[in-house]
Amino acid sequence: MFDFLGQYYPVFIQGAAQTVVISLIGICIGILLGLVVVAMNLSKFKPFSWLAKTYIAIVRGTPAMIQVMLIYYVLSKALPIPDIRFLGSSLDRVIPGSIALGVNSGAYTAEIFRSGIMSIAVGQTEAGISLGLSENTTLFSVVMPQAVRNILPAMGNEFISLIKESSVLFYIGVQEVTAQALGVGGTLYNFIPPLLVAAAIYFVLTFVLSQLLQLAENRMGRKYLALN
Amino acid sequence: MLTNTENIIEVRGLKKAFDQNMVLKDINFAVKKEEKVVIIGPSGGGKSTLLRCLNHLDGNYTGDVLFKGQNLGQLSKKELQLCRRKMGMVFQQFNLFPHKSVLENITFAPVKLKLMSEAEAIANAHDLLKQVGLDEKAKAYPQSLSGGQQQRVAIVRSLAMQPEVMLFDEPTSALDPEMVGEVLGVMERLAKTGMTMVIVTHEMDFAQQIADKVLFMDNGHVADIGTPDYLFNHSKNFRTRTFLAKVM
Ligand SMILES: Nc1ncnc2c1ncn2[C@@H]1O[C@H](COP(=O)(O)OP(=O)(O)OP(=O)(O)O)[C@@H](O)[C@H]1O
Ligand SMILES: [Mg+2]
Repeated sequence: MFDFLGQYYPVFIQGAAQTVVISLIGICIGILLGLVVVAMNLSKFKPFSWLAKTYIAIVRGTPAMIQVMLIYYVLSKALPIPDIRFLGSSLDRVIPGSIALGVNSGAYTAEIFRSGIMSIAVGQTEAGISLGLSENTTLFSVVMPQAVRNILPAMGNEFISLIKESSVLFYIGVQEVTAQALGVGGTLYNFIPPLLVAAAIYFVLTFVLSQLLQLAENRMGRKYLALN
Repeated sequence: MLTNTENIIEVRGLKKAFDQNMVLKDINFAVKKEEKVVIIGPSGGGKSTLLRCLNHLDGNYTGDVLFKGQNLGQLSKKELQLCRRKMGMVFQQFNLFPHKSVLENITFAPVKLKLMSEAEAIANAHDLLKQVGLDEKAKAYPQSLSGGQQQRVAIVRSLAMQPEVMLFDEPTSALDPEMVGEVLGVMERLAKTGMTMVIVTHEMDFAQQIADKVLFMDNGHVADIGTPDYLFNHSKNFRTRTFLAKVM
């Protein structure tokens, strides 16, 4: 049933690599954007917080597929990205696609950050401020690192769902693992085995990631409780 | 208006409300250089709220709070931060940074604010830790320390900023009784160095012994004020007498 792998395995490896790349870029952009948006959201300057809330509401209230397509079509007009092949797709699709994943993820990470910040006692902020630190330094050096530890499980879930959702880039022609599986299915006139392979690849990726996150969580926890 | 430059802190007509609840009702007093001012009074009387106005941790008040002649309410954010560096604050719940080691708790702000190099800050931190008998805990994380040890570290953290005044909000109220002494001891020694101190406390013996001036706060007013001898032994104020009778 999986004989085709002998011939097509490079295609799946390429697709898996593409999925990893776009997910990583998406996660990085999502984290950076999430940080900016949560700072805006919690800012006392109302227009900032209003803007942040609007962004979050729009991203959460619309389908990822439409967001990806809109961003792709807008960016491909606005940014002259060269048509360079990268893991079987053109960069002028991969880059807008990854940005779109990040823009989508940013709204969710911003909300995760917010709940993490809320979970840190006010006393921590007051301690920072009373030492003469600025509000931003207090936020980023005192509150955030603690928030990160508290939110690691939720962030893990977000990363995992981003890896799975990255398959939407199929719609703008990024040859990630789902697209490759469908391509192979088309040539074989049988979609089930290649889709099973794609599913297995997603499972391995998310499983490895969740193990890594578990490790990070344990390490951070140990440091907090370190004796001497 | 003329300000007495001897006054490190001056509070004039300070009023503050949380919604409809008037918590501070026209507070006036001053803290001179090297003076130890102790604030006592019943729970809910506004002591913590007052202390938080002194370093503008809560800036939502009317009236004036002056630090070395500068009206905190009129300062820019930057200027306010400069003032706060000079006003150490110690909290009832210690509020150490749990993700930083004892040493990092102490050196973080002075290094971040470029008061000193990292090497200087570390040397200074060890020096201060020795003075409170905790140098061997430099690498420990706050959770592994007892309450008394955490509070001593918190005091050191504030001192590392080389403040000109130290504010204490019930520094021993969250401690087990056997740990109260070690923290009060550190504060006593600090007082002897000439530090200006404003202390909210329920430790009446300590208050009598350390204070130059005692404020009795009740229901948002400074209901009584004077030397410890006056306030604890001679005050005719009915509310002072009732309060002291209850707590002593
Ligand atoms: N953040 C807040 N929001 C609303 N009300 C508050 C807030 N903080 C304090 N209050 C109210 O202000 C009043 C004074 O509180 P404050 O904490 O200053 O009293 P306190 O003298 O420090 O009492 P304690 O000895 O219990 O610490 C109380 O009635 C309290 O309920
Ligand atoms: Mg209080």
